[in-house]
Amino acid sequence: MVERRLPRTVGTVAVLLFAAPLAVLVVQAFAEVWRYPALLPQRWGLRGFEVAFEGDQALQATLDSFEVALISTAAAILLAWPAARALARGPARLRTAAIVFLALPLLVPPLATGTGLAEWFIRLGLADTRVGVALAHLTVVLPYVLLVLIPGFNPRLRELEEMAASLGMGPVRRLVSVTLPGIRAVLAAAALLGFLVSWSQYGSSLAVGGGLPMLPLTLLPFVGSDPNVAAALSLLFLAPAVLALLLASRAAREAL
Amino acid sequence: MRSAAATARGATRRVPPDLLRLAPALLVTTLLFGGALLGALKQSVEPPLGGGPSTWSLASWRAVFADPTFLDALWFSIRLAVISSLAAALIALVLATLLRSRGPALKTTFSLPVTVPHLIVAVLAVAWLAPGGIAERALGSLPIGVVHAQSGLGIVLVYVYKETPFLVLLLLSVMGRTLRRREEASAVLGASPSQVLRWVVWPAVRRPLAVGSMIVGAFVLGAFEVPLVLGPNYPPTLATYAYQATQTSPLSGQGKAAASLLVAAAAAIALGLAALALARTEDG
Repeated sequence: MVERRLPRTVGTVAVLLFAAPLAVLVVQAFAEVWRYPALLPQRWGLRGFEVAFEGDQALQATLDSFEVALISTAAAILLAWPAARALARGPARLRTAAIVFLALPLLVPPLATGTGLAEWFIRLGLADTRVGVALAHLTVVLPYVLLVLIPGFNPRLRELEEMAASLGMGPVRRLVSVTLPGIRAVLAAAALLGFLVSWSQYGSSLAVGGGLPMLPLTLLPFVGSDPNVAAALSLLFLAPAVLALLLASRAAREAL
Repeated sequence: MRSAAATARGATRRVPPDLLRLAPALLVTTLLFGGALLGALKQSVEPPLGGGPSTWSLASWRAVFADPTFLDALWFSIRLAVISSLAAALIALVLATLLRSRGPALKTTFSLPVTVPHLIVAVLAVAWLAPGGIAERALGSLPIGVVHAQSGLGIVLVYVYKETPFLVLLLLSVMGRTLRRREEASAVLGASPSQVLRWVVWPAVRRPLAVGSMIVGAFVLGAFEVPLVLGPNYPPTLATYAYQATQTSPLSGQGKAAASLLVAAAAAIALGLAALALARTEDG
């Protein structure tokens, strides 16, 4: 009885929190004509997507956003991996100080970070480039990825690694057959979060790459002017988050 | 012999390898984040055009603090931060109490808004709650204005939706088995349910709740795209004030924008460090 009721509660909550609000977005994206006060559109169609992808600004913005998110996430993982390993142990005082310093960029408004970076990026030729925007995103992607990775390097994983070392495994084999399998789930979560953080950045993207608009920058002006187009672009903008939700719910189901 | 040498090597190397591992992340953060703050500071003290031979000037800072719009933006941002974090804290407290004995699936479901970008939540709020939106179509009219409301209610709703799950997760992490055992022990010793709540549960959750709320407050202080989408025409938030300054006068606006953003950054960092200090008093 209890087992049967629980998924139903989960389902109801999921519907109220997500499905219902998001359903409107889907309806609006395919609503060519939706006059007040009708609850459903008068005419359905693909106009929103057609207008959104007229010229190739939106398509280019999507590809740029994707590339920037991949670059900043990959760089964040490369930097955070050794740091997380170091921060998973060692003297508590030093650990806290390092974590606080590395997490500080999370608190500061992204527009502030971006505006400050733009001062130098313009001189360095990095403004309005994908690398420049990725670097600006890295400022916040790095701390998120780091905070998720730290608990992954727990004592249990270290014991396994030491055991593998004492059995004569070299560093590469240890990484491939002990460390990576042990930290796989945490690493996936960190990568996913890093990607979503970069993908969602607005303020820093505007300040550093206003001339190379990422997807959210392309989307925002339509919210007031053409809800049909805004909804179509929102669905695209939401796709990675929905993918993350599906993966998380699958992981949760496995955990049950 | 070999193991003794290995131990000796391990002992002399134990600290340096960890510092080496930290070095790349520390270096990149110092360069990017430190560089960003310095860059903003530089912009804010840049002398105005034709302002004489001096290399720096406080003109932008003076202009900002003499501007009633900036003062309104400052006050508006603080008010939004306080209201959003208090509302999120209250809802999170109720949700965490309801969720603590439930399975992981329900907890995961409640944490889902974490993945949805702020901008999308703002778009959804417009679709549902703007004049002519779904809520009005279904109900006829809304009792209060939300989108573009002078009160900033729309901004508050978006942040509450986005940040409550973060607080719920934080609370659930301290409401585990240890707390339950202490509650049971107090009940056995004769404490009434309300006494258990007041003397056992509340002292355990109030600090993480306060720390989390302060971090939420710091986030809201930097609100930018959310007020752009559904904030009132006036007042702006600190970030939208900065944006407007650069839009209205690209040259002199830059310094005012940087000064305004630095005020937001300083307030957010101060809140964050206060939260940290509060979190640490627990460990003594």
